[in-house]
Amino acid sequence: MKLEFSKANAPRYLAVFVIILGVIGLFAGDIKNNASKNIDNKELALIVESKVDHITVDDLADWLIQGRADFRLVDINEEKEFNDYHIPNAENIKMTSLLDGGLGKNEKIILYSTGGIHAAQAWMLLKANGYDNSYTILGGLDAWKDRILFPSLPAGSSAIDSINFEKLKAVSRYFGGSPQESASAAAPSTATLKRELPKLSSSGGDGSSATPAKKKKKEGC
Amino acid sequence: MNAPFFKFEYFTPDFSLVIAILIGIGFGFFLEQAGFGSARKLAAQFYFRDMTVFKVMFTAIVTAMVGVFYLGWLGWLDISLIYLTPTYITPQVVGGLILGLGFVVGGYCPGTGMASLSTGRVDGMIYILGVFAGIFVFGESFSIWKDFYVSGKMGQITLYELTGIPYGVIMFLVILMAIGGFIGAEKVEKYFAKKDAEASK
Repeated sequence: MKLEFSKANAPRYLAVFVIILGVIGLFAGDIKNNASKNIDNKELALIVESKVDHITVDDLADWLIQGRADFRLVDINEEKEFNDYHIPNAENIKMTSLLDGGLGKNEKIILYSTGGIHAAQAWMLLKANGYDNSYTILGGLDAWKDRILFPSLPAGSSAIDSINFEKLKAVSRYFGGSPQESASAAAPSTATLKRELPKLSSSGGDGSSATPAKKKKKEGC
Repeated sequence: MNAPFFKFEYFTPDFSLVIAILIGIGFGFFLEQAGFGSARKLAAQFYFRDMTVFKVMFTAIVTAMVGVFYLGWLGWLDISLIYLTPTYITPQVVGGLILGLGFVVGGYCPGTGMASLSTGRVDGMIYILGVFAGIFVFGESFSIWKDFYVSGKMGQITLYELTGIPYGVIMFLVILMAIGGFIGAEKVEKYFAKKDAEASK
């Protein structure tokens, strides 16, 4: 009889219990959201040494062509440089506002700057604050320009290199670059070659890349 | 030890699949035990005859919410690392309506459909066949929907970020809402039971 009594009242007890928890929650204050993480020095050093925090420009180009959106591409450069040229889909975040909450700790973050040093410093900052899924682009924007926008075939390259170069040329044109064809010829004066940066639409990287991405996908199917 | 365990790499992605299977079996088991393997019971929800679905779901929400809040408050769980499905407001509203319509017509949602299938119910099997047919048609016609699919993007957002109301206050409000909902559900059940009894006289 006693057991039956308590069983019938179980939902009521639960309700009271949960209300008490709720009331405590009212005054409990906020969840420690930005509790800084203890940096594991050894772990960090291992990551740096093993280079797993690097992403090559080729991989990034592939992902952009595939239209993947499971990462945030962050340009650490100055606003002016960003407006001159940036990798499609990139967003400009200043070093000082990296930790202001625009980025999520549960997001995959890919950082780049012109040469890569700033990005590496930003990476350290993010890593130390618990943004575990952060990466930098190997060689930065310079590598992107050299390898993706303006690829060149060095003199004396093998047949396989030439075949690969055909692929690079297609990728380059996709991103609006200009392959340095004649670099393979005897003239080594690459500096005189045209290296005109692709024009960005005023709406930013988002719109400009969305349309070609779709086209490319259809080709694949 | 700190949670979420997966994000802190306490186990590998491969092992996470083992855990997923265990959690999935547990989830299915309790769905079935709550009576959700039966389309009759589920459909009765939409005619206000049996509010079990509402009660079980709201209980689950409140339990998980209170758990996450206090674990986060104690510092055992880093809630900033929990993966949140990104919000795309318009497609999700439309998707929710389509799912709800399918729920009323078919008598199952995908999870309960699976639970029903695994107990050998034929209607559950047909329902899951329909689910896969729908997935196939959607996948093949995705290029038509793609623009709509990503419209109304709000990112991984929570009520806390959207409104600025502290987590604890939101938790308290949701608890009040749940308790109010439970009391209301009991009343609705009694009302319709009485009405049905009168009608059958």
